[in-house]
Amino acid sequence: MRILLVEDDTETADYVRRGLDEAGHNVATSADGREGLFRAAGEDWDLLIVDRMLPGLDGIALVRTLRSSGIECPVLFLTTLGGIDDRVAGLNAGADDYLIKPFAFCELAARVTALGRRAHRVAPETKLKVADIEMDLLARTVKRGRQTIDLQPREFRLLEYLMRHAEQVVTRTMLLEQVWDLHFDPHTNVVESHISRLRGKIDCGLGSLIHTVRGAGYSLRATP
Amino acid sequence: MLYGGLTSIGYPLLFGVVYWSTTHLMELQIDASVAGEIAEIQSAVPSGDIPQLGEVVAALIGRSPDFFYLLQNSKGQALAGNLPATEPVKGIRQWPGSTRHRRNPFSGIRGRGTDLREGAYLFVGLSTVQLHEMEELVVRAFLWGLVLAIVLSLAGGAALSLSFLRRIEAVSQTSRDIIRGDLQRRIPERGTGDEFDHLAASLNAMLDRIQALMEGLRQVSNDIAHDLRTPLTRLRQRLELAQRADPARLGGDTIIEQTLRDIDSILETFGALLRIAQIESGARKAGFAVVDLSGLLRDVVEIYQSSIDDKHQTIDIRIEPALGVMGDRELLTQLFANLLDNAVRHSPRYSAIELRAYRRSDRVAVIIGDNGPGIPAEFREKVLERFFRLEGSRSTPGSGLGLSLSEAIARLHETELELSDNGPGLSVDVSLRCE
Repeated sequence: MRILLVEDDTETADYVRRGLDEAGHNVATSADGREGLFRAAGEDWDLLIVDRMLPGLDGIALVRTLRSSGIECPVLFLTTLGGIDDRVAGLNAGADDYLIKPFAFCELAARVTALGRRAHRVAPETKLKVADIEMDLLARTVKRGRQTIDLQPREFRLLEYLMRHAEQVVTRTMLLEQVWDLHFDPHTNVVESHISRLRGKIDCGLGSLIHTVRGAGYSLRATP
Repeated sequence: MLYGGLTSIGYPLLFGVVYWSTTHLMELQIDASVAGEIAEIQSAVPSGDIPQLGEVVAALIGRSPDFFYLLQNSKGQALAGNLPATEPVKGIRQWPGSTRHRRNPFSGIRGRGTDLREGAYLFVGLSTVQLHEMEELVVRAFLWGLVLAIVLSLAGGAALSLSFLRRIEAVSQTSRDIIRGDLQRRIPERGTGDEFDHLAASLNAMLDRIQALMEGLRQVSNDIAHDLRTPLTRLRQRLELAQRADPARLGGDTIIEQTLRDIDSILETFGALLRIAQIESGARKAGFAVVDLSGLLRDVVEIYQSSIDDKHQTIDIRIEPALGVMGDRELLTQLFANLLDNAVRHSPRYSAIELRAYRRSDRVAVIIGDNGPGIPAEFREKVLERFFRLEGSRSTPGSGLGLSLSEAIARLHETELELSDNGPGLSVDVSLRCE
């Protein structure tokens, strides 16, 4: 993906660029808010990563301006520890996701991939399909092959998220945020236990399509 | 009270003086008139011939209705006058009989008797009715005055002491609020410049100082967290880069991995501290909305269910459906998650935990209880402070900030955590405004 990183802290910029380069992305950087806005609006990007605190023009204002100019490019906000209003303010300004510095590489990589995908969707779907798992979003049913699988609401949400991000890595934090709407780490194995239960229900004796990616998270793939 | 007492003593004295001087004056006047009349009678008959005196007296009767005359001979027979015969007492005398009976024409006569030739006796007197009326008037006036004075002084004294007490009560009430934790309060100053205002001003200045000091203390831990964010961020980033430089190290439980975990733990503690500071400063209050508390609590239970199962604990859940409160969904989730986490973590295996939520008058009550070791009464205030850990809990994981964060969130929602003995164990009661 073509990614523009607007970040004034050189060490963080370096860190982010290295991690994304490794994942095969094309990263450009800007260290100033105004310059960043100019580049973001003037060129074509798959993803924008913007720091909250910037010289020239702060991150929130940058994103707001972009959105009001009709630029739909996905935006990931970076912010420092402790701002409890930051996430909500960022999302309200038009950002799509949010990371608190410092973050793990795998977290950044997973979210970047997840955001990149989003831009390609055109119309909201009513059905999802991965391998032979079919999910009807309107009827709230899941079938594997011929068999209907009975899922609890939470398990359904979990599978839905995994399916929407099939072939991608989703981190534990992403799952806590999107499936449980939790914005702190409870330090319990709620995610693990639900994954394990979900596997039990959808594996149906065939290999598990839900892979555990060591040190990163989980991934739903078409092959076991 | 005091003023009333003082008045009650001074007043009768005043009354006594006025009464005595008034009546005494009138008596003197009467005596003078009587003496004058006797002198006139005696000078009219220089010889002192009794029958002639009798004619003079008889002629005087009726001229002045207030005067009373008596001329009697040595045998005690009345010769002239409008009084019956009497004992010939010499000098100033009150006519015998009641002096207060107005209907008795002879009541209240004061006069003088003199001895004449041949053992005769002349008495001339004046009616003292007026004198007595005057006396009564003075007495009555003074009595009314006394009553009025006592009432006024009591009322005045009471009003004065009430305002006095009220000022003191205002100071006490403010002090109580401050002790309870509301450091913003100040003692009201009336601007009258009196001693109370000076006292209030001094106390308020002292409170300003205390508040500044406490703010300073709080700021220190926040400042530390704030200042250490950047170096810790760099540390972590560099460690990750180092880890990735050697792919063989990825994911294993190496020194780098352990160090990363420790740094994350420190970052989490700082994050919680900064969060508490922000919540206490009132951030997020604007984002309040109606929250489905029933759903929220069930979600919280779900998060900790596996931990509960791992410790073979039981949880008794009784949540009324459709409980709505006004607040911040994310913060309330954190509040109750912390409380439930504490209950699970600090209770031994096989303990029983309960979570109840129900409507209680115009509020919603959420009660999380356990039958674990509980918290001794003397520590129930302290555990809400940052970093406080009970003796037995020092070894369990956690930063000691969970309850502080929960309390800060509770205060943002205009309530407090009520910790009590669950007989045995700990019970935490949170009361929220119903929506």
